[in-house]
Amino acid sequence: MKPRHPLHPYLFLFPAILTLGVFFVAPLVIAIENSFYSWDMLTPPRWVGGDNYAALVRTGEVFGVLGRTALYSVLVVAFSLVLGLALAVALDRPGRVYAFVRGAVFSAYVVSWVAVALLWMWLLDADAGLVGGLVRALGGTPRSWLSDPDRALYAIAIVSVWKITGYAMVIFLAGLQDVPKSVLEAAALDGAGPVRRFWEITWPLLRPSAAFVATTALLASFQAFDVVRVMTQGGPVKATTLFVYAIYEHVFVNLRVGRASALTVIFFVVLLAATALQLAAWRATSHARERSQEPA
Amino acid sequence: MIAPRRRDFLRAIGASFAAAAAGLSASSCAPIDEDGRTRVSLWFAYGGKNREELLALVDRFNASQPDVRVVATYQGDYFEALAKLRTALAARAAPALTHVIGEVVPYLAEAGVLEALDRFAPASSFDLVPALAQEGAYAGGASRPLYSLPFNRSTPIAYLHGGVLKELGLAPPTTWDELRAFARAATIRGADGTVQRWGFVCPIDWWFWAAMVGQAGGDVIEPDGRVTLGGEAGVRAVRFWQTLVHDDRTMKPPPGRDYNSWQAANGDFLAGRAAMIWTSTAFLRYLEDNAKFPVIAAPLPRDARASVPIGGTLFVLPKGSSEPVQRAAFRFLAWMMEPEQANQWATRTGYMPVSRRGLELLRASGYYTAHPNDAVAVDQLRVATAWPWSTALFRVQREAVQPRLEEAVLARRDAAAVLEEARRAAEEP
Repeated sequence: MKPRHPLHPYLFLFPAILTLGVFFVAPLVIAIENSFYSWDMLTPPRWVGGDNYAALVRTGEVFGVLGRTALYSVLVVAFSLVLGLALAVALDRPGRVYAFVRGAVFSAYVVSWVAVALLWMWLLDADAGLVGGLVRALGGTPRSWLSDPDRALYAIAIVSVWKITGYAMVIFLAGLQDVPKSVLEAAALDGAGPVRRFWEITWPLLRPSAAFVATTALLASFQAFDVVRVMTQGGPVKATTLFVYAIYEHVFVNLRVGRASALTVIFFVVLLAATALQLAAWRATSHARERSQEPA
Repeated sequence: MIAPRRRDFLRAIGASFAAAAAGLSASSCAPIDEDGRTRVSLWFAYGGKNREELLALVDRFNASQPDVRVVATYQGDYFEALAKLRTALAARAAPALTHVIGEVVPYLAEAGVLEALDRFAPASSFDLVPALAQEGAYAGGASRPLYSLPFNRSTPIAYLHGGVLKELGLAPPTTWDELRAFARAATIRGADGTVQRWGFVCPIDWWFWAAMVGQAGGDVIEPDGRVTLGGEAGVRAVRFWQTLVHDDRTMKPPPGRDYNSWQAANGDFLAGRAAMIWTSTAFLRYLEDNAKFPVIAAPLPRDARASVPIGGTLFVLPKGSSEPVQRAAFRFLAWMMEPEQANQWATRTGYMPVSRRGLELLRASGYYTAHPNDAVAVDQLRVATAWPWSTALFRVQREAVQPRLEEAVLARRDAAAVLEEARRAAEEP
């Protein structure tokens, strides 16, 4: 197709380029530039070269933040995936009761993060909370998870899993509609049990849904902020200082725009590498599948 | 036919954006309300009762004269409000008036973002309680231009459960040793070892640590500006907390950071789960009104000496407003410094009256005899230590010390090593 005017394609691209440029490229370029300065937003910035990066590495801060974020992400992705799939398979049946339970599970996803965080702060309170009361009723000693440096990250991960599992379930439910009933029935007639039917037929057909859920859950967990801000403010000690919260803390608490920008750049590079790896893995598996489908 | 219509549409969108932008900039340059009053934006950082009391004062000021309208906007807690203020200063959209914690005034003043107030009236014209005003709150504060006027000023005090004191037949502890013994006596454990009532609950916070450094005989920042974090006194303060939390298991470090943990301490006290808490005198009225038992306030105990830091905030005028707005904002400040307003604020909240004449009036009227809890903070002013006029103070507090205190106490890291690390962090440019 030939444009009527050579500029037309660019005109059509312009809104997208403008949006990307203003909200993505420009902030990134500014962040890269700022990462080489020491700046508190009030006094003039001072050039410090790679000092911000060096300090993040020397104090071990970047490794601590990366490690915590990775652990949190793995927990959230793995558990929301498994629970979402299990719920989808269990609730993929007709009937009002099932519809109600599906709706109830999904409702957590619709509620705002702040409300969810406040609700769980109450649930997890060792003295007055529901979980503490249950533990006491069972004869145990309730512990305050949110004020224990060894457990706070797990508590936050549990809350996040609780919140996004409903979303994973809905994606899997949609995926289940694409699994042909006739194939499942044929396999049953051939003597395949429910477990084998799941692994041989349902799961392979659900893999695109699983990949989608894993990617979105990974992105959401890497960007976790609200839940940390409301429930723990990054503490106790540094146990729940995840990536985005660490950036926030440097800018708005420590007055260090340069340090925060350096962390942002590192974050960007890490996510870029993770995405590249994921894409490469995706391509490799789809190539392998295409090849296996070629006639021998 | 479609193409021109689309173009018209785009043009219309462009025009509406331009109109919106013009409207925005026009409104930000028009501080005069329709009734001819100069509008002064005031950013404040209190919730709850203190917020109601401030808004009541603002309403009274607005009703008292026809020229100025103060519009108060809540901006979160002190640190959230400060983050917004700094962002607003960088974006040239700062409010005409706000209040900030004492530790950050030197930093903001030296960064050149605060208006000097003695341009409007000399510092001596205010008749303030010296320890609470800039002249006494900072070492050498009187020799600087006047950048701040005191608003809500406080000291940390101890709050004790009157019922528990009676039950144990004890008086409020006056030394660290007595505090340790009191906490032990007041802690109640269940059969399974869980604590049903804590002897002592204290937020693991910079302010209380700074109080203990002073009590142990040290200075967080030396008079010559060196950041020593109190040396041995600093270590002794952290170790005292560690002992109470881990060895005696009579002190609960309340969960959460910053003011979340302060609220948690208040909650434990009101629920009868804490025999004694340390917190600000700011919560005096709130705790008295909400406790179902007699609340006894007491000065913090002494170690090598008696000492407390002064907390709370001071009013500042961020640069950037027009001259008429600044004058209008200053008019409100001057009104707030008058005895009547200072005393209304103090007696309804628990903060200290900043007006010297106001304080004398309260004393003469027998207010402190009738409300001995209110006298504790005022009496403690005798041992209050001034902060150094140091731009490093705020960063020492927020970045170097505060996050590490938690680590030292909760994870029980070696106090000397943690403070040495904090000292090095404080030296970082």
